[in-house]
Amino acid sequence: MEAQVASRKARKEQGTGLLDICEQLVALAKKAGASDSEAYAERTRESSVKVREGNVEELQQATSKGVGLRVFSAGRLGFAYGTDFSKDGLRNLAQSAVSLAKGAAKDEFNELPRGAQLGRGPEGAYDPAIEDIDPAWKLRAAHAAEQAAAKVDRRVRKFDGTGAGDYLARSAIASSRGASGESRASYAYLYCSPVAEADGQLQTASWSDTRRRLVELQAPEEIGRIAAQRAARMLGARKVKTQKAAILFEPQQAAGFLAGLSGAVNGDLVYKKSSFLAKLLGRRIASEQVTLVDDATLDGGLATRPFDGEGVVSQRTVVIERGVLKNFLYDTYTARKAGARSTGNAARGWSSLPHIGTSNFVMDRGTVSPGEIVRQTQRGLLVTAMLGSGANPVTGEYSRGANGLWIEDGQIAHAVQEVTVSGSLLDMLQAIDRVGDDLDLRSSTAAPTLRIAEAVISGS
Amino acid sequence: MPKVVRKPAAARGPLLALPLVEKLLSAAMSRGAEFAEVYVERSTTTAVSLDEEKVRSAQVGAVTGVGVRAIRGAQVGYAYSDDLDEAALLRTAQTAALIAEGNRDPGPVALSRTPLPTYYQVKQPLAAIDVSRKIELVREADAAARAHDRRIKQVMAGYADQTREILVANTLGHLAEDRQDLCRLGVSCVAFGKGGERRTGFYGGGGRVDFRFFEDFSPAQVGREAARQAVATLGAVPAPAGPQTVVLAPGWSGILLHEAVGHGLEADFIRKGTSLFAGKLGEKVASELVTVIDDGTVAGGRGSLNVDDEGNPGERKVLIEKGVLKGYLYDHLNAKLTGQRSTGSGRRQSFRHAPMPRMTNTYLAPGDQTPEEILGGVRKGLYCRQFGGGQVDISNGNFVFEISEAYLIEQGEITRPVKGAMLIGVGPEALKNVSAVGSDASLDPGLGTCGKDGQSVPVGVGLPTVRIDDVTVGGTGA
Repeated sequence: MEAQVASRKARKEQGTGLLDICEQLVALAKKAGASDSEAYAERTRESSVKVREGNVEELQQATSKGVGLRVFSAGRLGFAYGTDFSKDGLRNLAQSAVSLAKGAAKDEFNELPRGAQLGRGPEGAYDPAIEDIDPAWKLRAAHAAEQAAAKVDRRVRKFDGTGAGDYLARSAIASSRGASGESRASYAYLYCSPVAEADGQLQTASWSDTRRRLVELQAPEEIGRIAAQRAARMLGARKVKTQKAAILFEPQQAAGFLAGLSGAVNGDLVYKKSSFLAKLLGRRIASEQVTLVDDATLDGGLATRPFDGEGVVSQRTVVIERGVLKNFLYDTYTARKAGARSTGNAARGWSSLPHIGTSNFVMDRGTVSPGEIVRQTQRGLLVTAMLGSGANPVTGEYSRGANGLWIEDGQIAHAVQEVTVSGSLLDMLQAIDRVGDDLDLRSSTAAPTLRIAEAVISGS
Repeated sequence: MPKVVRKPAAARGPLLALPLVEKLLSAAMSRGAEFAEVYVERSTTTAVSLDEEKVRSAQVGAVTGVGVRAIRGAQVGYAYSDDLDEAALLRTAQTAALIAEGNRDPGPVALSRTPLPTYYQVKQPLAAIDVSRKIELVREADAAARAHDRRIKQVMAGYADQTREILVANTLGHLAEDRQDLCRLGVSCVAFGKGGERRTGFYGGGGRVDFRFFEDFSPAQVGREAARQAVATLGAVPAPAGPQTVVLAPGWSGILLHEAVGHGLEADFIRKGTSLFAGKLGEKVASELVTVIDDGTVAGGRGSLNVDDEGNPGERKVLIEKGVLKGYLYDHLNAKLTGQRSTGSGRRQSFRHAPMPRMTNTYLAPGDQTPEEILGGVRKGLYCRQFGGGQVDISNGNFVFEISEAYLIEQGEITRPVKGAMLIGVGPEALKNVSAVGSDASLDPGLGTCGKDGQSVPVGVGLPTVRIDDVTVGGTGA
């Protein structure tokens, strides 16, 4: 009984400890001459295992911490971060942030969020079961995934690695304008990266899952099986001729396509007229089948959080509604500059200033199954993996290396590699003519299977 | 109990008291590991950025931590801590030790300092340079970019440096300490043309260099070059899609080697047999014109290392000689497991990461043709002058790299600019198609960062002017 109370007390102290560090820093910054200040601290625990060909290859475990302090001194911004939580360490941090502010320019838009902007939205999931994962469970899961992968196809014999891990994060924020809060998140993940080999060709594929609740994690056997199937089906891959054809993105690749778009709805790029979407607010930019939201309140989302990196309450922002561009994403600074409101999209870690970033950036699902989309495609490329960064948010050009499966008359014909998919992002968005029903929140940027009626494939 | 004997200390005090380092090594070995290593890192980072002609922020960060690794066979235990008190560090070492199961007295270790060469002459640590001088660089670069052309409307200029001190000690008795300064000045800008057209430009440079580097490599020149790229590509036509002859300008184009062969020669992929270059030592994997070198000893190079993150000295390695595969890039673990020696290629992003084999500065040895000769021989093709990033799939060898500034070649002449070009190929095939190598060897100005398994490390790349036949160009044009 007593032990239980003590451990609960210890847990509570660990939590308040982080907020306490932030509050101390805000007080120290004030003493050092800051007119306003905000501290953001994190403490994380990570643990992972990796196996290969039946043997344990790596065990890793660590805890980590850090704090960043943003100060405004007469409208000038200074920022310092560090890992030293001692009294001297914090004092030095406050002094260097304040002294750095002297070198920065006065900027009337430098202000911290306050009042009604601050607050808490729904908590993201925190699963105590992840806190207590037995290291032996992770090893069993990784071995099980690898064994399942090895059973799929005799051409799958090599592995780059198979692993499991967990990650716990606790963060706190405090500011001289009343921000004060703590939040926590838990993640568990599993992955398998097998390599298939035949006729001198090697093909690798990877399959993984990350969830905030342990029970939602895909079964290890399934992870291994899917990974091996994905590697084996790429064997015999070859170039196709340069041509225009339909492009089908599997959900992960569709998410990658969206990630390219996320840069273009960044309020900072928009304000500088440096986004190809800058002048298109309220206009139809995509097919009617496209609805896209940024939702930090989404149940089960990997990026769900009660408030953003500067304490602004989390919200759901519609970015594209039935093809029409509805909103851009803002943090406090850029919103003030652009005459907009913060959408709670300040992303940050303790070693960086807040900057605009997406939370759960998710496209609505459609009604067609991915199999049906393939059957309805006369000639096209089902993209299963990509190389390169792809979308240019400034120019709106898209060009990326692609691997995948060739579709002929509604059937998978053969594997494809060494080609690129190119087009203008606006043309591609408007040409989306099928949206799958297979949305899965396995990453914070997520989309179902998409078909683009036509884009350029460069090959032989 | 293991006893660690140590040689006389250097003048400067170590990052962590050596008796404690010894204790940590013992603790990491206490369960029967065959090898243990302690890595101590203290890094100070400064960053300054200018946004809309104003200093948006100046920032500094200080991070210190210790990583402990224990190895038994192919098994690695890794743990780290940013808490430097003895109890926390001992817990960290004991956690790493858990990879082995048992109880064994590893015996004494005699730590002796590895004598180090010096490939970077940085007199004053970059962290000690006053931030106002760094702001001055950024202002100058920004102003030069804006003044270059009235169509330049957006400029982002930034400077960042890091002074990173490391100490590596292991149970083989090696003790190495190094200070690795690194800086980079970069400018990106947007040119606005007719009908809402926007083109971007990016340029910059730096390395493991003294701050005085910027007296020669002037910020104004950086700003002007970024602006030139953006303006030069206004009015560009879509890049022609499909196979063609390409000529690559010297320097940053070396990313071709980095992606097409470099990663595939890293010994972890070789040991696992997951790289298409595994088992091909002595075989012809490229045109006879191709000699590829990975060189950690380049003076001031962004990827240069007096000592790698496992305590082994930086080296110059010939990977491919006249088209024949000569060697791989080894870290400690993969060298040990395959009976080779480390090539000083064990690198890590920070104390929070276990080391793995990585490149340093990777370049192609020069040939004997002039750039004019190479270009003159091309009737129809693509001239690639500036490059973006790249990526490779180690297994099938597919690589891409993005071309940020490209022109059509018509009858040996550089003509119209094209946009949205990207090259894709399979490493060995692309290298077999290298048909001309220039005499104008050059390293990139110090811009590259390489990512692998979630770890970023600074690297250099280099290439002389090179012609490659039959490369697939990704684009949307006819």
